[in-house]
Amino acid sequence: MRIYAICVYLFLYIPIGVIALFSFNAGRHASQLQGFSTKWYGKALNNPFVMDALETSLMVAFASALFASVFGTMAAVALQGIKGPVRTAFDLLIYVAVMIPGIVIGIATLIGLVTVFDQLNPLIASIWPNGFEPPKLRMGMGSLIAAHTMFLMALVVIIVRARLAGMDRALTEASSDLYATPMGTFRQVTLPLIFPAILAGFLLSFTFSFDDFIIAFFVAGSETTLPIYVFSSIRRGVTPEINAIGTMVMGVSLLMLITAQMLLRRGGKKTK
Amino acid sequence: MTKDIDHISKTEFMEKLESYRKGSITRRHFLNVTGLGAATAVLGATVPGLRPSPAFAGNIGDRVVVATWPNYHDPANFEAFTEATGAHVQVNVFGSNEEMLAKLQAGATGWDVYVPTNYTIEDYVKEGLIEPLDTSKLPNYDASAFDPRYAEAGSVDGTLYAVPKNWGSTGMAVNTKHNDGKPISSWKEFFDITMDKFSGRTMVHDYQLTTIGSALNYHGYSFNSVDEKELADAEKLLIEVKPHLFAITSDYQPSMRNGDAWLTICWSGDGKQLNTDIPEIHYVLGKEGGEIWSDYFAIPKSSERKEAGYALINFLLDPQVNAKEVLAHGYPTADSRTFDLLPDSLKNDPILFPAQELLDPLEFGAAVTLTDPNRAELMARFKSA
Amino acid sequence: MTHRTRNWLLLAPAGTWFLVMLIIPLSVVFIFSFGERAPSGGVVPAFTFEQYANLPARWTAFKNTMTLAPIGTLLALLIAYPLAYFLAVKANPKWKTILLVLVIVPFWTSILIRSYAWIFLLGGRGIPALLEWVGLEGIRLINTPFAVLVGIIYGYLPLMVFPIYVSLDKLDKRLLEASSDLGAKPWRTFLQITLPLSIPGIATGCMLVFILLMGEYLIPALLGGGKVFFVGNALVDLFLQSRNWAYGSAVAVALVAVMLITVTFYMRLISRLGASREDVSIM
Repeated sequence: MRIYAICVYLFLYIPIGVIALFSFNAGRHASQLQGFSTKWYGKALNNPFVMDALETSLMVAFASALFASVFGTMAAVALQGIKGPVRTAFDLLIYVAVMIPGIVIGIATLIGLVTVFDQLNPLIASIWPNGFEPPKLRMGMGSLIAAHTMFLMALVVIIVRARLAGMDRALTEASSDLYATPMGTFRQVTLPLIFPAILAGFLLSFTFSFDDFIIAFFVAGSETTLPIYVFSSIRRGVTPEINAIGTMVMGVSLLMLITAQMLLRRGGKKTK
Repeated sequence: MTKDIDHISKTEFMEKLESYRKGSITRRHFLNVTGLGAATAVLGATVPGLRPSPAFAGNIGDRVVVATWPNYHDPANFEAFTEATGAHVQVNVFGSNEEMLAKLQAGATGWDVYVPTNYTIEDYVKEGLIEPLDTSKLPNYDASAFDPRYAEAGSVDGTLYAVPKNWGSTGMAVNTKHNDGKPISSWKEFFDITMDKFSGRTMVHDYQLTTIGSALNYHGYSFNSVDEKELADAEKLLIEVKPHLFAITSDYQPSMRNGDAWLTICWSGDGKQLNTDIPEIHYVLGKEGGEIWSDYFAIPKSSERKEAGYALINFLLDPQVNAKEVLAHGYPTADSRTFDLLPDSLKNDPILFPAQELLDPLEFGAAVTLTDPNRAELMARFKSA
Repeated sequence: MTHRTRNWLLLAPAGTWFLVMLIIPLSVVFIFSFGERAPSGGVVPAFTFEQYANLPARWTAFKNTMTLAPIGTLLALLIAYPLAYFLAVKANPKWKTILLVLVIVPFWTSILIRSYAWIFLLGGRGIPALLEWVGLEGIRLINTPFAVLVGIIYGYLPLMVFPIYVSLDKLDKRLLEASSDLGAKPWRTFLQITLPLSIPGIATGCMLVFILLMGEYLIPALLGGGKVFFVGNALVDLFLQSRNWAYGSAVAVALVAVMLITVTFYMRLISRLGASREDVSIM
């Protein structure tokens, strides 16, 4: 059993080792080792295109994860107390949103929004006061965040609802028996209990958004996210710079995970 | 330049600009001396609609967005541009002209400069995606310096829409080690050897123009053919060859380098890079023909930072700057002023500048070749076969 | 504020979002699938079934997807289950968290970069070179369905391990002890207690991986060398190369239809196997 586990971990980590190894390659091609160098790290960090793409990716991932967790949690809490057609409709929408492949979301968002924008832009321009430049709806960071938020929101609803379903109803009942306002009950009882689920939803959303290529490929307009940058570099020859970026992203996320783990552990001890 | 702000002569302006770029004067000084700063500030504020037009106007905004190909610029040039103008260059890279056109047709906007290839320009004009260039905003553009062969596609019906960036050819790269040291010289050989001793070792591009084009060349047809019968012959060949292919990809360098693949359709710049590092990989042009192409700079109609777009194109057309670009991407320039600045080793390089008789049979891709629905569907059938 | 208005207010943002970003775009795709390709690309409105009639032209893509997606899901399950079992039941509790984290960490590197590592590993200088060394010559791995399968398993293994781990971890260990106290052989305990109780986790993991695989584009594009073609690759080509929106929309509708049928059928099957529907939908 243990040997099996070791094998799986090797399977998981050998490719990552290869990425890290080649990031220290002195040569300019990712497939030939030509001595040790850390220059690609400096190159990546000083490459404004990489930094721009990273910034865009972080902003999109943060905004999408934030919107998705806030609106998703709100919907999950509301759906808890609803039955009937509205509930059925939402269940169906969430099912569809999670089930539709990312590539279809990307394509549908692109042609759907473009078609809608084509209708709306002249309309906006016609009602806009003279002398001011009317705003123009277009594909870009906004459409990307909106598309990510849509399916991540469905994910958050599912995660939070699972937690709500597993929650002891007696707790909320007791709280309202003790004359707490619904808002008070929510803040004092429900929120702390579902908070881990919200946090998990946020982190999962952030990861999905940060790593997403296919939706961004279609709806990002003129924005470049990190996966889009990596993809276009891969298509015309990779330099170890890409490996350096990958290694750094992984290093930073590992560090973040460990820090979060330590903070949670400390927090856990305190409440005990 | 407009008359209102032409305080100094054009040559003086360029001299000042040059010395500014060399760092001998500060940006503020530059703007004051040329009068651009004050003039544009005043004009811009008082006369709505009258925007500053000179190439290095005081305020071109804080950014310019370029749609281009990967590994196609010297980042140091962009940094110099940012320092000179305050506008940050944001680069967007595309995989193929088809992809660029598809995204533009889907209404994607936000770019200020495109780098289209010769055969797309006519379509961009037809679709109303790019606008005529105002050469007064491109003082570094000197039409007489360019070989017309690589510049003429920039004009449609006598109007200038795009200025040349650099050109190149599409031939094949062959690892001669596996062919008794002999290169191959035709598309006929390319496909025949693939179905024979190079089986499982050949790559073709994953877009239709060159892959179908070379299959057409095999049969002695034009690279640009849209004739149904000729396309059917090309399809038959491609389907027959498919099981023998190593990959259908435009990212062929890694597999050529690590020895998995021995033969590929190849752009001259990649051919140059491969040959430099691994001398037994030769870059050759098919004797039946093949593609010769020229990339251009153009300004999209939808751009909201056109001044910045002009400023950037003008900056990159400066022979000094352009020479650095050539050194970075390894493709030949059509600008004689830039050519003169190149080191001799590059000027005499047979891959960058092949002999005229080798270039003669090559064809420029035609606009209809790119947009022909039958060719697009043929490629899709070939890939999903 | 009444309960009702409160709930409406809470649902409003999510509802609007779904309307604008899901219902409208999907409707546009559906409408376009009955249109025709405009001469220069894009779509002209029409009402024709021509695009649907032309679907067999992408039969290979559907066939590849419909075979490699289930096979990949199954293989990922077979590899993930023992690991999840080890983590939940056998692993030293002190190391459990760190071992779990180690399963997710690869997930944090872009799938693009990880697939690129496999291009090297499966390419001529990677595993085939090792095989040659032990005497197996001329084995080609890269740009084959096998390479795509390796990429798939590698990419989605964490997504399979997690739900199974969660369901196994919830399992009351006393049940296992009781079973072995009563003299049951380990494999009987596994078959009769552990496996049935972990079905919700298996169902969730399989569904998650299967859904992602059905729309996969990157892994076949990078590890299949353009020769192993999925529906996702066909869609990207149709929208970003040949600019045939009408036909592309029809292929997208067909893909969604295939998925709806398979997943619904799958859910029926799972609920017959004993897991409640509620469990399956908790992903």
